[in-house]
Amino acid sequence: MNLDARRYVILTFILLVGIIYTSRLFYMQVVDDQWVLRAQEIAEKRWEITPPRGVLFDRTGKKIVSNRTYYNLMMVEAEIHDLDTAKFAKLIGWTRDEVRERFKEIVRGEGTYYNKNTGKRTPNYQKIRAYPFMKELTLEEVARIAPHLDNFPGFYEEVTSMRSYPYANGANIVGYLSEVSQEEIDEDRFYKPGDNIGKAGLERFYEKELRGRKGIRYIVTSAMNNAIESYADGKYDTSALQGPPLKLGVDIQLQAYGEKLLKGKRGCIVAIEPSTGEILALVSSPSYDPNLMIGKRNISMYYPKLLLDPNTPLLPRPLASEYPPGSTFKLLNSLIALQEGVISPEFGAPCNKSVVGCHNHASAGNLADAIKHSCNPYYYAVMRRIVQQNRKKGVFADAEVGLNRWVDYMKSFGLGRTLETDITGLRPGRIPDVAFYDKWYGHHRWAFSTIRSISIGQGEVTITPLQMANVAAIIANKGWYYTPHFVKSIGSKGPLPEYRKKHYSKIDRKHYDVVIEGMRRVVYEPGGTGRRALLKDIVICGKTGTVQNPHGEDHSTFIAFAPMDNPKIAIAVFIENAKGGGGLWAAPTSSLMIEKYLNRKVTEKEREKTIIDAVFSYMR
Amino acid sequence: MRKGDSLVAHMDWPLFVTYIVMLIVGMATVYSVAYNEEHPNIFEYSEKYGKQLVWLGISLFLGLIVFLIDSDIYRKFSVPIYMFTLFLLVIVLFTPKINGASAWLGIGSMGVQPAEFAKIGTALLLARFISTVNVKQQNVQTVLIANAIILVPMVLILLQPDAGTFVVFTSFLFVMYREGITYDPLILRVINRIPGIRFKETWVGGHFIPILFVVVILSVVTLLMSNEILEFGFLPNVKVPGFYSVVATLFLIALLFLIFLRFVSARRERGRATLVVILGFSMAAGLSSMVNYGFQGLRQHQKDRIELFLGMKEDPNGKDYNRNRAMAAVGSGGFIGKGYREASVSSVRSNHVPESETDFIFCPFAEEWGFLGTFTLVALYMFMLVRIIVIAERQRAVFNRVYAYTVAMILFYHFAINIGMNIGFAPVIGIPLPFFSYGGSSMMSFSVMMFILLKLDSQRRDVLQ
Repeated sequence: MNLDARRYVILTFILLVGIIYTSRLFYMQVVDDQWVLRAQEIAEKRWEITPPRGVLFDRTGKKIVSNRTYYNLMMVEAEIHDLDTAKFAKLIGWTRDEVRERFKEIVRGEGTYYNKNTGKRTPNYQKIRAYPFMKELTLEEVARIAPHLDNFPGFYEEVTSMRSYPYANGANIVGYLSEVSQEEIDEDRFYKPGDNIGKAGLERFYEKELRGRKGIRYIVTSAMNNAIESYADGKYDTSALQGPPLKLGVDIQLQAYGEKLLKGKRGCIVAIEPSTGEILALVSSPSYDPNLMIGKRNISMYYPKLLLDPNTPLLPRPLASEYPPGSTFKLLNSLIALQEGVISPEFGAPCNKSVVGCHNHASAGNLADAIKHSCNPYYYAVMRRIVQQNRKKGVFADAEVGLNRWVDYMKSFGLGRTLETDITGLRPGRIPDVAFYDKWYGHHRWAFSTIRSISIGQGEVTITPLQMANVAAIIANKGWYYTPHFVKSIGSKGPLPEYRKKHYSKIDRKHYDVVIEGMRRVVYEPGGTGRRALLKDIVICGKTGTVQNPHGEDHSTFIAFAPMDNPKIAIAVFIENAKGGGGLWAAPTSSLMIEKYLNRKVTEKEREKTIIDAVFSYMR
Repeated sequence: MRKGDSLVAHMDWPLFVTYIVMLIVGMATVYSVAYNEEHPNIFEYSEKYGKQLVWLGISLFLGLIVFLIDSDIYRKFSVPIYMFTLFLLVIVLFTPKINGASAWLGIGSMGVQPAEFAKIGTALLLARFISTVNVKQQNVQTVLIANAIILVPMVLILLQPDAGTFVVFTSFLFVMYREGITYDPLILRVINRIPGIRFKETWVGGHFIPILFVVVILSVVTLLMSNEILEFGFLPNVKVPGFYSVVATLFLIALLFLIFLRFVSARRERGRATLVVILGFSMAAGLSSMVNYGFQGLRQHQKDRIELFLGMKEDPNGKDYNRNRAMAAVGSGGFIGKGYREASVSSVRSNHVPESETDFIFCPFAEEWGFLGTFTLVALYMFMLVRIIVIAERQRAVFNRVYAYTVAMILFYHFAINIGMNIGFAPVIGIPLPFFSYGGSSMMSFSVMMFILLKLDSQRRDVLQ
């Protein structure tokens, strides 16, 4: 046995381990980067700082949506000891059971983590982490609690920012914020549970702009999750950046005035500046105070009530309610007939009440008078000429051609499709086309006589008040429009590019003059249906509509623009189930809005009082 | 000692300097890992670095005493020293448990662990015993006594319980192997009863210990790697099961051996040696694959048990937690490290790696100094171990040689297991990294061990034997 040689066995052993360890260390430290990532997971934490949301201003520079400081009462279970539940409950004004229940609720709310390897479920809740025990306390509430928190270790207050609405108006425009849903978190990694997100209105449409940029601090944390120091001296940190302010085209005082006028009534007002497409006011009545929808506590209290209200205050009617346009639609049919050359401005037709009911007036000898009187039989005659142009053999095939051409014009007015307005909740309305009627009646089973109610804006036609106002704007502009929009500027940038593009109707500019003249006569000539819209120093052009409604009283509607020569405002008013026609309710309401906007004061006090005081039976 | 010689006249300077360098680097690491902004002074006794500095001073003082005493005393008094350490091991069993083990003697923070000193006692007695035995005439009794010297303290240590130190005591088996104390007499006694068989020695009995260790280490490494999948940054989409990497490593080692043999071995032996290497490789690869597929074929609960034992199981607060975090700390160090006092995962303040100032002190070192640091550390240890073996082999006295080997093997064990558990090659067994880990007992015992070796070596010419 050569024992001396055994030293080499041992030396080999030692050197082998040395070589293997060195190569392993080389692999781990230099080649394989999974450990770097794991180390980051373990020791580096991101702290996110949520900036306050962008602020909204109206067209006159008034702040209409701002931020307010609130406080969360936070708790860290690991730091709580000897909690006197009774005393604590008394401090925050709860019962002991509520306090205990809240602890359980927090644990439940965090959910559980399912480990696929072991098949075990473990709660996500961690005793060492901070959770909000009470959310969204006001300064007054927290001032009462905070001084006593020293007696309750593990509880502390934390500042948070929430919305505030200095004007209680325009709830359906601005929308509201609420906590993100799981789907929203999955979709966009910006959000964490408990974050707020815009759920409706501009808050939702401009969410990406308004939310700003979260600040991120990378910190080195201990196993107990305590911050120890900034990672790499803050080299990779980014600061939080508030979202840019949005300047709206809305005039908050006009908006407030409109809401005041429609009190006690279901209805809408939409006002647009024709030259820019900016929405000046978008009233939906009844509405709600946006301050009711701030924070989890308020939302859980008021949202169900608002949702169950039979008068649907949460519904943005101007965007989402599709009404038959009634007689206001005659303006469009006039324009189409002129463009198609099937009538001339001098076209006259007898008011033949055996065809369709009409009110008592002299037969219209020309188009402008027909508009003034809103003569139903006249428009049957006009529509027949549009639909049945004898371009094809057979009445059914011919009607198809005529209707197709008509639909084409209607689409160019932004009807029958969803406008690209910068808000959510828009509906398209309906312009019935060949396919629609084929489905409804069958192929070649319909002609003008079947579909004639569309000539006076009844029947299958529906449009939203926003579209109606846009039609008024198109007429005011004599044939073009910018898509109606709310936001004039985002920070230092102007409106979104799609609102800087002019859209043209397929009607030549020359045809508008006679229609506009007709609209003037509606208000200013004896026998006009909109005489109650008359203003002394402003020339209003308008058109009334009385929408027959199988379910109850007629709806009252009016579209208008003013002043006639240099239109500054185009407006559509729609009042549901008003006793009396468009001339009685919607026309005076429009005139009040126009006067308020153009003169900043209202002289027609009598008219104003009548409108404001009216409370319809369904609202009582 | 000859008259006129200074204390350090024949001291082995390379070993001594390596030792001092390790102490300094170790101290710097403890200072870094335990650094407290409020008490940045390294002499601050309320902090761990202050205490460690005191232990370091005491250790050097003990070293001085060792150098003042004639080296012959260790051989002469090896029995009483051994008995004394055994006595301490018995007493310590009656102390209250701290962290689940009765391992500490003393008051408060100034306690010592008798198990650390039992290593020295056992080393000395084993050296004494082997120096008195004629290896060529060893019998069953010789083997049993040698084993008993090791086993008695092992049992007492297991009672504490202290698994780490228990495992370290098996390092003495390597020393026995070097000295030719093998299990042959036991095996022969059994085998030779069979009629017709009359062996003088068996290969297995002679090399029983290294073979056993190769088998155990290979099995453990295979098990630890069997669930791992290796990926390489420069080879995207290539995933190598951990088991293949074990076989590949074995193959590379075998290849190295073959190349090595071409230069070293005599021509006539080359054929036989090549055969041994190829055979060894085949057997090792076969064993590794058997362990791997045997393990994969086990039922889940059996697997769980093994995984739990080796600390592989996902157990957020268990051994795997420690190892995982330790590996993250080591691996995140990169090539040049994060910089001194910049360890983010393994600093004591962050507490992600438990025991990062004691058993896991390699973590902050590796995190702060990167591969450059760890390579240097491994190289330092390699140099120290090889140097000790060189010293061992130049001793005239068997006692000195055996003792030197025990020192080498104990240090090697601590090195291999401690760093092994930081890089996923060894189960998590709590033993300190010599000269680095915070703690008085290990610092003192390793220092005394080292100084005794240096003293014995410096007086090697005095011994007439």
